Amino acid sequence: MSDSDFRARAVLMGKGNRYEDMVPGRTFDHHWGRTITDGDNAAFTTQTLSFCPLYFNAPYAQSLGHPGTVVNPLLVFNLVFGLSVEDLSEGGGPFLGVDDCRFHKAVYPGDTLTARSTVEDARESRGQPGFGIVRWHTEGFNQHGDRVLEFRRTNLVRRRGGE
Amino acid sequence: MALTGDNRYFEDFEAGQVMRHARGKTLCEQDNVGITLQVMNTAEGHFNEDLMQRSAAGRGGWSRRVQFGGVTIAMVIGLAMQDTGENALAELGLDKIRLKAPVFHGDTLYAYTEVLHVEQIERDDGGIVTFRHYGVNQNDEVVFEGERTVLMRTRSA
Repeated sequence: MSDSDFRARAVLMGKGNRYEDMVPGRTFDHHWGRTITDGDNAAFTTQTLSFCPLYFNAPYAQSLGHPGTVVNPLLVFNLVFGLSVEDLSEGGGPFLGVDDCRFHKAVYPGDTLTARSTVEDARESRGQPGFGIVRWHTEGFNQHGDRVLEFRRTNLVRRRGGE
Repeated sequence: MALTGDNRYFEDFEAGQVMRHARGKTLCEQDNVGITLQVMNTAEGHFNEDLMQRSAAGRGGWSRRVQFGGVTIAMVIGLAMQDTGENALAELGLDKIRLKAPVFHGDTLYAYTEVLHVEQIERDDGGIVTFRHYGVNQNDEVVFEGERTVLMRTRSA
């Protein structure tokens, strides 16, 4: 490998945080946001066998007072969760559970969701010394700033040097 | 012509009922990798097989990609949806969701549901039903359980 070898000169563009970054009270405004399309909703709903016509039959949804199909709440949950991963849990460690998830407002195709999380609790894991146990409060918002859902998530989070 | 079945309105649910849902789903890359990345989940353990093979000891001891728990939650609730949400007016919430064992490509999930509470409320078109869902793999191991609360349409609405 010569000096000019790109691999020798490359600097790792690392991603994610570790347990030590999870100070209770710290808030993360998560990156990117995501506009949900009709295609997202139809694909997710049918792929997960989520057979409620609100999510894939527009006249049916309209008959129940909606402007068109409703975005499957499980997709809203997954998307807000997904947007939070780089900041919260990409560093590694299994996802243990979710509590107190509330769907506050219907989401429609074309809406753009963003996510924000606050660290609620962080403690060491007695059983897994390389990890801590962290609980976050995560909220999802639409393009008008309305909160569409919230939930608490608990994860094992890798400590620095815990590779 | 009714678009939804006639036996899953609010009036049909009763606390204590337990259902074994009819269909299972074998999880494939399209499910885990597809949905994980569709929802912008950037955790490589769900989509980088090489990483998992090289660093198994540091990644929960798993030597292959593990399914994103959000996909497991959505798939088990999806398997239960026709029987517990075909006539939903709205999903209200989830609680006590626990992922009890890892799920891998090739595993098959089945769903069971217990009706926990049925509550009449001050509206004519629906009532609230709370379920506890269970996800079981091909070895009969419980991989998921959690509660879900739904505003369910009444038959008369």
